[in-house]
Amino acid sequence: MTFEIPFGPQHPALEEPINFMFEINEERVVSVKPRLGYVHRGIEKIAESRNYQQLVYLSERICGICSFAHALCYSQVVEELLGLEVPDRAKFIRTILAEMERIQNHYLWLGLTAKEMGFETLFMYAWRDRETIIEMLDMISGKRVNYGMTTIGGVRRDITESMMGRIEESLNHLEARAEYYTKVCTRDPSILRRTVGVGILRPREARALCAVGPTARASGIARDVRVDEPYAAYGEIPFKVVTYRGCDVASRMYVRIDEIKESIKIIRYALKNMPEGPIRVKAPMRVPEGEAISRVEAPRGENLHFLKSNGSNKPERWKIRAPTLANLLSLCRMLIGVNLADIPVVIAGIDPCIACAERIALVDAETRKCEVWDGKDLWRYANEWYRKRYGL
Amino acid sequence: MKRSEIRRQLRIRARNIIVQRDRRFIVNIEKKDLERVMRRLMRMNNYTHLSTITALEVDSEIELIYHVAFTDALVSVKVRTSKDEPVLPSIVDLIPGAALYEREIHDLFGVEFEGNPDLSPLLLPDGWPEGVYPLRKWWSPDRILSKLGGRR
Repeated sequence: MTFEIPFGPQHPALEEPINFMFEINEERVVSVKPRLGYVHRGIEKIAESRNYQQLVYLSERICGICSFAHALCYSQVVEELLGLEVPDRAKFIRTILAEMERIQNHYLWLGLTAKEMGFETLFMYAWRDRETIIEMLDMISGKRVNYGMTTIGGVRRDITESMMGRIEESLNHLEARAEYYTKVCTRDPSILRRTVGVGILRPREARALCAVGPTARASGIARDVRVDEPYAAYGEIPFKVVTYRGCDVASRMYVRIDEIKESIKIIRYALKNMPEGPIRVKAPMRVPEGEAISRVEAPRGENLHFLKSNGSNKPERWKIRAPTLANLLSLCRMLIGVNLADIPVVIAGIDPCIACAERIALVDAETRKCEVWDGKDLWRYANEWYRKRYGL
Repeated sequence: MKRSEIRRQLRIRARNIIVQRDRRFIVNIEKKDLERVMRRLMRMNNYTHLSTITALEVDSEIELIYHVAFTDALVSVKVRTSKDEPVLPSIVDLIPGAALYEREIHDLFGVEFEGNPDLSPLLLPDGWPEGVYPLRKWWSPDRILSKLGGRR
């Protein structure tokens, strides 16, 4: 018997509503169809009627979590058209901010994934630790999210000597916590049972479906814009690209935890080697005719901005490709064959800004009987299924 | 990556390859060559992935830019189609990851992709009026609003 299950689009906790139409046979997913557009705000259209300075703020509001990555990507693309050379100190500050954002995003992700597994203690732990890095971002930029730090031609605030001590302190704490999470996530039987071998994406499939970021790196593909096309100060900072070969949710978890450790090292190095000097240069309002592309490794993967200018103070076309769109097809591939109970964990696995589904309707294909589930029901169903089956 | 390497591999004329700057190449091609060029690009040994497809209006035509990312360069393959009857061959068979990008462009610019099995709306809601392509310049926000029966 095959069921069709519309999954989403409303869910209360997170941004980015999305709808998946699942076809379920017994308890296995047979096919998945994604449907987007519930929060399509027409930013690319709005951009054509705004000037370049205003768009810095708009770009930051594309995503609430990787706001810095979008603003950085946009600033870089305008700087390329203007031919502006950003001061070295600004490049280092950008790198530090980008890595801090990665740390906070990965902790957020770890917490949400833990919650999907029904491991609420880990969820609380991860989010408590995320608070440490958010406080640092607040200290530097004055804001907890949407930092407003990057601008065309540099950054708006400096990192002072007095901040460095506090940042170092919090990095030490976060590093110790990351070690602890490695221990928990590699040993805890309930985490292993819920993640190992779940949501498989083979390297060949990841390549064909153009996966990016941690999703690709967990399938053994060392694809990272920071290395392939160094921007900001990444060309001067040694770091390694974390890859795992497990191709499952567990690997995606290990990639992110290891990336937290790498990010901490990058921030330490950048703080130590930060050159003195100005933090921004003045940028003109008008942008000469031309087109440019900028890529940034956002916490969730490759982020691409394309900008075409017609010589006025407004862009002709601004194209944004956020990492979740690139990973969506990979997600659909991962979901095929998984158990109904594993859907939340697999969806959380790509870090798509959506992790819980508000409303699910189970339609019996033969009797057309319709049951409506919300996110909580699915969550309860998933955790009870595992409890009954494995006693977790 | 070097210009000569792209030229040799893609077997296209040198004047169609523009070096924008270090790591940035633009390859201008005809519609009929799209599949062949994309296939050859994919076979180049350090091929990584199709980053995305950008569509934009250029005069009376719609230009599509296929951003293909390599580990050491970003190649933009540009192809144009008429605005009145925008049809292009789909590259979904070659690169399955292009499916959503083609659907997005189909929604927002009204470009048909021959060979793409699923061009159902991805971003636009059900019941969106035929022939309204929100990202085309002619469709200003006011025009879209009045077409949809809304008011500011």
